[in-house]
Amino acid sequence: MLAVLLAGVVALNVAVLRVNVDVTNLDKQELQLQAQNAALASSVSSAAASLKIEATARRLGLVPAPATDTSYIDLGSPAAKP
Amino acid sequence: MTRVVNSRIRLLLLVILLTFGMLLAREAWLATVRAASLSKLAQAQTKSQVVLAAGRGTIFDAMGTPLALDEQATTVFADPRQIAKPKTDARIAARILGLKAAQLYPVLADHSHGFVYVERKAPPDEATLLAKRNLTGFYFTPEEKRVYPQGPVAAPVLGYAGIDNTGLAGLELELNGPLTGTPGEETVVRDPLGHVIDVQAEKPVHDGHNVFLTLDHTIQANAEQVLRATVAKWKAKDATAIVLNPKTGGVLAMAMEPGYDANAFPRAFAKGLQANHAVADVYEPGSVFKVVTIAGALSDGLVTPRTKFRLPYSIRVADRVIHDAEPRGTETMTVAQILQHSSNVGAVTIARTKLGQAGLLKWIRQFGFGRRTGIDFPGESAGLLPAYWSGSTIGNVPIGQGVSVTAIQLASVYAAIANGGLWVQPHLVDHVQGEQAPALRTRRILSRRVDRELLTMLKGVVSDVGTAAAAEIPGYSVAGKTGTAQKPGPHGYIPGKYVATFIGMVPASNPRLVVLVTVDEPKLAIFGGVVAAPAFAQIAAFDLQYLEVPPDEPLR
Repeated sequence: MLAVLLAGVVALNVAVLRVNVDVTNLDKQELQLQAQNAALASSVSSAAASLKIEATARRLGLVPAPATDTSYIDLGSPAAKP
Repeated sequence: MTRVVNSRIRLLLLVILLTFGMLLAREAWLATVRAASLSKLAQAQTKSQVVLAAGRGTIFDAMGTPLALDEQATTVFADPRQIAKPKTDARIAARILGLKAAQLYPVLADHSHGFVYVERKAPPDEATLLAKRNLTGFYFTPEEKRVYPQGPVAAPVLGYAGIDNTGLAGLELELNGPLTGTPGEETVVRDPLGHVIDVQAEKPVHDGHNVFLTLDHTIQANAEQVLRATVAKWKAKDATAIVLNPKTGGVLAMAMEPGYDANAFPRAFAKGLQANHAVADVYEPGSVFKVVTIAGALSDGLVTPRTKFRLPYSIRVADRVIHDAEPRGTETMTVAQILQHSSNVGAVTIARTKLGQAGLLKWIRQFGFGRRTGIDFPGESAGLLPAYWSGSTIGNVPIGQGVSVTAIQLASVYAAIANGGLWVQPHLVDHVQGEQAPALRTRRILSRRVDRELLTMLKGVVSDVGTAAAAEIPGYSVAGKTGTAQKPGPHGYIPGKYVATFIGMVPASNPRLVVLVTVDEPKLAIFGGVVAAPAFAQIAAFDLQYLEVPPDEPLR
């Protein structure tokens, strides 16, 4: 009986140690993912820089639309109502 | 025989008893007298205290795009006393980390130190490559590194966080408090092989707060691009632009040219490029200041926009002769025409005959010149007002000479005109994460009636007969004012050196934007209406389209 109890305590301790090691590994993984996330956020921001987008668009043959070419519909005016 | 055996058994028993006695005494010694020190030693071998560095908050623009954030880096350090072959190791480390072996070798060979940095905040992939070489005496620790992913965009506004992630300039310095977190602490328990078997958290780490700005990176980048082209076109020394939302005081763009990559701040600092000219530098505003003279006279009921003045081409004020920019005969001009044609003689005449020194000074102060706007940026200048009024001062100040202002002061004053006479404190920070956006600080500087009159007069400036036809934007009504100011030096005004300015508000019927453009020392032309007004039109036209502001005038 005593031997079984002793074995149980040992097994429990081993299990706790294993879980602790797993938690440590998960913490490490979390840190790595956070680092990756920061690096990706930085890349996204860098890629979203309007100068880069504009340069890429120009390379593809696109040109900025003149401001005066934009049309607006006034939904508040009587003419726009059905 | 039996007696001999018995005596041997007794001796053996005695030896055993003595041995156990000694062991017991040793155990008692270890368990009592040495207990504390041994326990400490055991803990030191298995437990270690680890400080968890707090991450610095991210700075976002108004659209939620990160402009400054932390990235993981690896700091490489070494113990020279453990390094047996410093020359070889220096060569290997230098090749992988992109350093100079000749500089690294003497550091690693110096055995007088037990700790030296090989490289602070090296790229993690390079550090991993070096770690794989298993060089004795080389150690690696993760650290956060501040990066500015958009490079030059808003660099002088964002400023810089140094090697220890502390704000040293710009918004990084201004917001160092909320951006900086609180480091945590934990105890790590390791097995005899060094594997972590338990982590006991003691103090949780609190990362710094994220900060959201009023800046929009698209508007900012466009303003910088326009300034770059303007500086190149007019071979100017530098240029500044501010885009303000007049209703909230939020700064949508604060651009300077020449700029620099925020990631290379130390190099920019060495070249003196880091200054935020819009907030820290003062200059004589020239004719854009006439709005103060005329608004003051209108507000005090001394003139109306239709009040007429008979104005010669030049007038003498004490020892100075004031004249208009273009030669002309004596003319009769209304107050509105004085502003429209930017008549120096007209503005000085209104100040001398109507406002007087005390009245003018009252309105200069009412507009907030001579004191800081209180913008959330370090190192703001208050500008300079004349300390002493000589006989000729009343001939200078009404036309923006003899006073110095900052670009943000001017922009905020014109924003007040665009906002029905209500001045709103300009600001760059919208809110800190987890906190309410601070309440707007406002001050009425003009009555609604005077403001409407002023706005109508400023619309006349941006017309075919005004000084800023180049500021027109098809489909939109524009109100604004040009300025062309001589630059003062130690011995009076410097010949050939000017500051060209244009400040406009658009659409003038219900202004959504106030845009200021200042070009310092343009070479090929000097007038604000020629040099700065086209840059205003380019910046404003782009912003109106980007912000989807519908036109308020039919296309001509």
